[in-house]
Amino acid sequence: MKRLALTAALTAIMAGLLSAQVPFDRLLRAVDEPQNWLTYNGSLQSTHYSRLNQITSENVANLSLKWVWQAQSLEKFEATPLVVDGVMYVTEPPNTVAAIDTGTGRPYWIYQYPMPETTYVCCGNVNRGLAILGNTLFLGTLDAHLLALDATTGRKKWDTKVAEYTHGYGITVAPLAVKDKVIVGPAGGERGIAGFLAAYDAQTGREVWRFNTTAHPGEPGNETWAGDSWKTGGGSVWVTGSYDADLNLVYWGTGNPGPDWNPALRKGANLYTDSVVALDADTGKLKWHYQFTPNDEWDFDSVQVPVLADITWKGQPRKVILWGNRNGFFYALDRTSGEFLLGKPFVKQTWSSGIDEAGKPIKAPGKSPSVAGTDAYPGVQGGTNWYSPSFSPGTGLFYLTAWEDYHTTYFQWDQNYEPGKSFTGGAARAPFQSLKRDPFIKWGPEWGYGVVRALNPATGEKVWDYKMRDVSDAGILTTASDLLFSGNREGYFFALDAKTGKELWKCYLGSQVASAPITYTVDGVQYVSIAAGHSLFTFGLGRTGELRH
Amino acid sequence: MNRRVARIALLCCFGTGWLGAQDHTNVIRNPFDTPEDVAAGQRSFRSQCAACHGPDASGAAGPSLTTGSFRHGNSDEALYTVITKGVEGTPMVAFKLDGREVWQLISFLRSANVAKGAGQAPGNPGRGAQIFNDSGCAQCHTAGKPGGFAGPDLTYIGSRRSLIQLETALLDPSAEVDPDYWSLRGRTKTGQTITGTRMNEDTDSFQILDSSGRLRSVWKADLATYEILRTSPMPSFKGKLKPSELEDLVAYLATLRGPSGREGQQ
Repeated sequence: MKRLALTAALTAIMAGLLSAQVPFDRLLRAVDEPQNWLTYNGSLQSTHYSRLNQITSENVANLSLKWVWQAQSLEKFEATPLVVDGVMYVTEPPNTVAAIDTGTGRPYWIYQYPMPETTYVCCGNVNRGLAILGNTLFLGTLDAHLLALDATTGRKKWDTKVAEYTHGYGITVAPLAVKDKVIVGPAGGERGIAGFLAAYDAQTGREVWRFNTTAHPGEPGNETWAGDSWKTGGGSVWVTGSYDADLNLVYWGTGNPGPDWNPALRKGANLYTDSVVALDADTGKLKWHYQFTPNDEWDFDSVQVPVLADITWKGQPRKVILWGNRNGFFYALDRTSGEFLLGKPFVKQTWSSGIDEAGKPIKAPGKSPSVAGTDAYPGVQGGTNWYSPSFSPGTGLFYLTAWEDYHTTYFQWDQNYEPGKSFTGGAARAPFQSLKRDPFIKWGPEWGYGVVRALNPATGEKVWDYKMRDVSDAGILTTASDLLFSGNREGYFFALDAKTGKELWKCYLGSQVASAPITYTVDGVQYVSIAAGHSLFTFGLGRTGELRH
Repeated sequence: MNRRVARIALLCCFGTGWLGAQDHTNVIRNPFDTPEDVAAGQRSFRSQCAACHGPDASGAAGPSLTTGSFRHGNSDEALYTVITKGVEGTPMVAFKLDGREVWQLISFLRSANVAKGAGQAPGNPGRGAQIFNDSGCAQCHTAGKPGGFAGPDLTYIGSRRSLIQLETALLDPSAEVDPDYWSLRGRTKTGQTITGTRMNEDTDSFQILDSSGRLRSVWKADLATYEILRTSPMPSFKGKLKPSELEDLVAYLATLRGPSGREGQQ
């Protein structure tokens, strides 16, 4: 009896130690603990801004490599890690999770999800990251399951099937934890899925609510789909959304309608594809939406990170969402009401002749995909894409990775839907391979190039450019010391002056950067980490290889 | 008929995951290679592959599949594996197709490569080979047997270029120069002239094979001026060969389809 009591007491102590490591309150105030990186986007406002300021324009040139984590996979490393109280949690492709000591780079545990023999996602077996709530990590898998893992041991707590992967559904997005729920949605915009966002009870994995991104019969918006085209209408979910606690709204960007390049097969605006949706966090009910590209013809997924900023708009403080869209336009929306405030091209675009006062884009004539092929700007990877942008309250600027002067020839043909198979209704031919390439840059600069671009969020006007020879798939981090960190396909990781765009430091990592940098502290010392190629690199001030423990 | 049935039986083994256990001394042959299969393969290609590999398989987000050789193996078996299993580390994922569809796709890819290559040339390839040797072409080109490296390797050129493309390349070498053979011409801030074949480039630097045959890297910041030349250093044969000799040389180039002589094999 005595022994039982002791065991019970120990269990209670252990439970106390292991649970509530990251209660939701910490996620709400993530910006106040810059020593950590608690969500995919750094905070629920998704600004990719840190208050850390030890690394400055004066000393950034002294950054040195501390440690490298090498993934076992050859797939593209697209993940943004989490850092929680000295432990980094990162996903390696396809669906492996590693818990790493931030001081030494040594792993505590590795969890390997048992993958099916084949998966059916469109564009590489990638994963973008995790969410944490309490002492639980949440992982979406390529076979469309949502897993809860114990953050201390890496052991599985529960496993919920989200969708049928053999029909083209898969999860690549880092989940978002809001209150007591975890929100995810499926990728599969090129597989004829019917997309959705769904919230799951963080304790049990039970589905609590679901919002359909292709409106089903009986739901508002279904009238924007001809016939049954909503059933294969896409609206995929593959980049993490944001949350405003004051409004209790979750904001999320949605993917392209399917088939991608044949809008005749899905006549209508195709709600809620290529949109931002504002959902009640408790019920999943739609509060408002804004559709960036109605009846999209060019694969302009609007999956970008919704950046929540409080700016001065026409002399008044305003709660806005800032959005650099794949369609080449920069937008500012009122995030309380969804009111359209601003839409202005940030790269060369030819598909639209402008946006009317109500915020609806006007399609330019002669730019639709065709059997013979039609050239249009931006190209199929967009003016920007899923790369995390940043808003710095210090500089007041919005930063994004953009593909400038970049076009594609868009083709169109009929296509029948078959479950799990490609469903694109055409093709897109760009001047260079747009997803992943060998390390050579040989095309002419007239075919497009990459920039880190700083915009005035109140006007959409360009403030400065950092021009690169190659395009870039890297996200952006800004800090309180007015530094900007990013990378590119050339394999460079670099730091810029966030006020001017001047290059301050650069390091060659040997392969494509297709992730976003993060910053945090180890024993009070600021570090910066970035994934490139198949590895994750960590930098800090001081001697190369000098570890803290 | 019996042979076809046997091959279909073999196909069923693929479907049950037996491929990895095959005795590789037995060559797996495509059981669906009729013109109807090619047409069906083309339809499947459009719906399943063209989004990445382009409407005519000549490349887009993914690589061209009409160069005559495939990066992950040229055999039917290798192509079958790539299509059904994907390629780790690339956006090429596994495709949910039944075995017949996969074989038809392979038949289409084979036909696309043949179609892109040179057809029957009217000239005499033997005399063309002599002209090739006498003209010093091998100083810059490899063509099956060892030659120079300054120009493109011509070992497979017959399966990658049409007759008219071959003739144009001889008469007007600068008409279409692959970016692999663009050259850098620049002057450093200290007045040194730099020329060479541009092998790579990024925001800050060029990697070149310079005119002395040395591999070197050049910082753009050290260059006062530079330009990328998209012309070929190869001399034109215009006016230097009789029409019949030109036909012979084109006919010889059209026979260059790799060591085995088989389309698409390497």
